[in-house]
Amino acid sequence: MIGLKSTLNVIDNSGALIVECVNILKNKVNNGWGSVGDEIVRKGDVRRAVIVRTKKPVRRPDGRFIRFDDNAAVLLNNKREMLGTRIGGVVSADLKLKGWGKIASVAPKAI
Amino acid sequence: MRVEKCYFCSTSVYPGHGSAFVRNDSKVFRFCTSKCHKNFKMKRNPRKVRWTKAFRKAAGKEMTIDSTIDFEKRRNVPVRYDRDLVQTTIQAMKRVGEIKRKREHAFWKNRMAASREKQRAHRKKALEAAKESSTKLVTPLESPESSKVREKIKVPAKSRSALIQGEGRSMTMDID
Repeated sequence: MIGLKSTLNVIDNSGALIVECVNILKNKVNNGWGSVGDEIVRKGDVRRAVIVRTKKPVRRPDGRFIRFDDNAAVLLNNKREMLGTRIGGVVSADLKLKGWGKIASVAPKAI
Repeated sequence: MRVEKCYFCSTSVYPGHGSAFVRNDSKVFRFCTSKCHKNFKMKRNPRKVRWTKAFRKAAGKEMTIDSTIDFEKRRNVPVRYDRDLVQTTIQAMKRVGEIKRKREHAFWKNRMAASREKQRAHRKKALEAAKESSTKLVTPLESPESSKVREKIKVPAKSRSALIQGEGRSMTMDID
């Protein structure tokens, strides 16, 4: 449940600590709410980022629900590549399903 | 697919059931129901909540040291499928379950025997205390009112159905 004005922790080593969401990209069905694997745009100087953890429980294909401690994102450049080189902290395994396999593999743990 | 144990009440969580919470240090807490999840969110300690398995074990209400418990364990060694092995395992599971049930019953009986003596002593004490401070009961006087039987007044109930005509009701639609 990431929408306009929500703040997220940045868990890569790009330098930013907190980002504020100003837009959810390419998501017309979900009423403007972003979840794991959605691309968002960050404020300040505007950058792209991808959500990697959400507090809102996410349903897995096997029917289980999974919830994290906080909302977190990883910054991207315009080519949808990671800005940082490392990720500190767990990420959701849903990233792999949504085509963010590279980020999931960089993270120390994907649950 | 694995059958996990609930973090709070330690019942088994089957695939597709329950929810999981991942702390930022990547520890995974699995819950069987929203009840357990809510209790966790309230920061309750499962060892202090009386209905959980953790409490029962901590309070000595269930067997904790037994060889039958060790069979059910998380093993991280992958085993190649073997038809005979599966068969013997299933047989062993049944047998172990039988033994476990009997031992648990014996444990329970033992526990109850100890508590029964305690209960008896408590009852005896309570009875003696009651005898000392007992008051005599007096039978209540019979009042003349109670012997009378009140007559019921019957009122014929009118049937008020829209299907029956009359009383200003009609079966047709009102047209102004």
